[in-house]
Amino acid sequence: MSKSFGFNTLGLHAGYTPDDRHGSRAVPIHQTTSYMFNDTEHAAALYNLEVGGHLYTRISNPTIGVLENRMAALEEGVAAVAVATGMSAVFLSILALTSQGDHIVASSQMYGGNINLLEHTMSRFGVTTSFVDPTDHDAIAAAIKPNTKMVFGEVIGNPGLDVMDVAAVAKVAHAAGVPVVIDATLNTPYLMKPLKHGANIVIHSLTKWIGGHGIAMGGVIVDGGNFDWGQNDRFPTLTQPHFAFQGVNLWEEFGPAAFAMRVRSEGMYNIGPTLSPTNAFHILQGIETLGMRMDRHMANTAELVAFLKDHDGVAWVNHPSLPDHSCHDVAMRQMPKGAGSIVTMGIKGGRMASQAFIESVELASHLANVGDARTLVIHPGSTTHSHISADAMKAAGLTDDLIRISVGLEDINDIKADFNRAIKIAQKKTSAKGS
Amino acid sequence: MQISINDADVFVSTGGRTPDKDAPVLLFLHGSGQTHLSWLLQARFFANRGWSVMAPDFPGHGLSSGVPLTTIEAMADWCHTLIKAAGHKKVTVIGHSQGGLVAMELARRHPEIVAGIGLIALALAIPVNPQLIGMAEDNEPAAFDAMVTWGHGHDGAFHDHPMPGNSHIFMGKRIMAGNPEGTLAVDLKACAAYADGEKAAASITQPAMVILAGDDSMTPCKQGQALAAAIPHAKLVKIEHAGHMLPVERGDDVNKALRRLFEQTGA
Repeated sequence: MSKSFGFNTLGLHAGYTPDDRHGSRAVPIHQTTSYMFNDTEHAAALYNLEVGGHLYTRISNPTIGVLENRMAALEEGVAAVAVATGMSAVFLSILALTSQGDHIVASSQMYGGNINLLEHTMSRFGVTTSFVDPTDHDAIAAAIKPNTKMVFGEVIGNPGLDVMDVAAVAKVAHAAGVPVVIDATLNTPYLMKPLKHGANIVIHSLTKWIGGHGIAMGGVIVDGGNFDWGQNDRFPTLTQPHFAFQGVNLWEEFGPAAFAMRVRSEGMYNIGPTLSPTNAFHILQGIETLGMRMDRHMANTAELVAFLKDHDGVAWVNHPSLPDHSCHDVAMRQMPKGAGSIVTMGIKGGRMASQAFIESVELASHLANVGDARTLVIHPGSTTHSHISADAMKAAGLTDDLIRISVGLEDINDIKADFNRAIKIAQKKTSAKGS
Repeated sequence: MQISINDADVFVSTGGRTPDKDAPVLLFLHGSGQTHLSWLLQARFFANRGWSVMAPDFPGHGLSSGVPLTTIEAMADWCHTLIKAAGHKKVTVIGHSQGGLVAMELARRHPEIVAGIGLIALALAIPVNPQLIGMAEDNEPAAFDAMVTWGHGHDGAFHDHPMPGNSHIFMGKRIMAGNPEGTLAVDLKACAAYADGEKAAASITQPAMVILAGDDSMTPCKQGQALAAAIPHAKLVKIEHAGHMLPVERGDDVNKALRRLFEQTGA
């Protein structure tokens, strides 16, 4: 049998071998806080990063470990660390590389939570950020300073739907000796693996398409192992003695997995945003069908985009698959299987009409999530992005009338019928108010 | 630890501990296209248990500068120079795959410096497939893929690593890709050209252990058993459910076996 496996096979099998004692075919939920040591030497070895195994669930856990191994396999990374949420994955990634006085170059067109973390939280601890247009590679190069520790962005911006040319950004960042950290939540490894395009660290909110069911929060950091942390003296957290573990030099002792080891040996030890083992189990159930779900998401998205594009009541539709999208070529090159299942649109009649549409859908759900199996709608300007400044909203491509749609897996004719009905109600309500 | 040999900077992992001059010394030698990271689960383990660990990157590998050595004999002499430069008189040498050939040749050429020998996933010879050498010369990433894929047993192939969250397959590829271009081909040719395995094995008088992997498709068990039979008094240990990358696939089992060897050598 071949020892090299495809995406769907890895999604079902990677990271888990049924144990000899029970032979459980499905990944068991190890709902435990702690683990028996064989003897004092075994305990010491675990505490000192000498051997594999688990000592306390805040640090690692067998069920979470399967999820981590599976995500590393799917993203083609050397190691992964799973955490409680996507936001904690972003935070621990920043924590692993930066200290007071350091700097980040970040996309201006990101999820509002990422922007707020950088602009308002990290800045209080002396880590500043320059926000730049992710499609302006000269601006990215110009923003990198001697104290810049990462270039950070999303493959598909949320909700602007601009698409980062990861290879081009990586070229610019690497020329300056800086790694590229990518939030790849909206594309999933099924549509695109950023590490293969030159990114160095990949982050996901597992809560979204990877789980896919909308029942469990989770995040993951995947270390590509493809960045030379020792090329300059910019990354002391990886190349200088660790504050613990007898001063281990992570770059020398763990090589390509140095970053992941820093995340676990500091982020999980000292901060501890631990994923619950039960949530890891739920997310693993989602991963088992990720490939086939993404195919269905893409098929439904393509049909819905075409439907909305032709609809009289729709003012505009935005999706990278549309030929007139500013990032269409990059999107098709990077994601030939599809550019994600987030679509944005405005209803004729402006903000009031868009809000009326959201209040009129019956099949689609009005809530603050994306990547659910069900179709979701929201008005980001008054919800997910309401806490960012007007300038940041503009930079993120947020217009007053923008509706964000996360296309689900329902029968497409039912989604179209629901939208058609809601658009008509919205226009009726708006014209009535306007008359 | 950095040591200068022949005007090249040599990186030697000490398992994260400052070497103790009075402690028994373990010299771990990596395989073709690999680095000291092959000993991820051995270096720190033994360094924190009273041994003085040396896990060097051969010239032109990993964090060492210089150019790769082209013969197993030259690698053995280089190890001798390294041991002397580090100020040691005697070491127990442990080699994985190509590193095992070097360990045997070191014991043959410089027996006075070897207290004992541990050979992991090894045979009397490593007759590398010419197609693989050609691949390493013309399309290195394809050679990395082939070696890493065939180098692991079931658990490794399914990314089930003893260190939580790690992937054998992609870690293996990144380690190999981190070496300067062309390094793997030089190593593979050195292995293929080495024909003195039988003589070297017969010359070993020190305590010896051969540790084999049950699912090794690169140096199959049967050939490893012939190696063990050719070494006077060698102990044979077979570890099931693992492939050629035994030290990272079954670190705990390898360490248990090596400890038994070290008890014998007094190391």
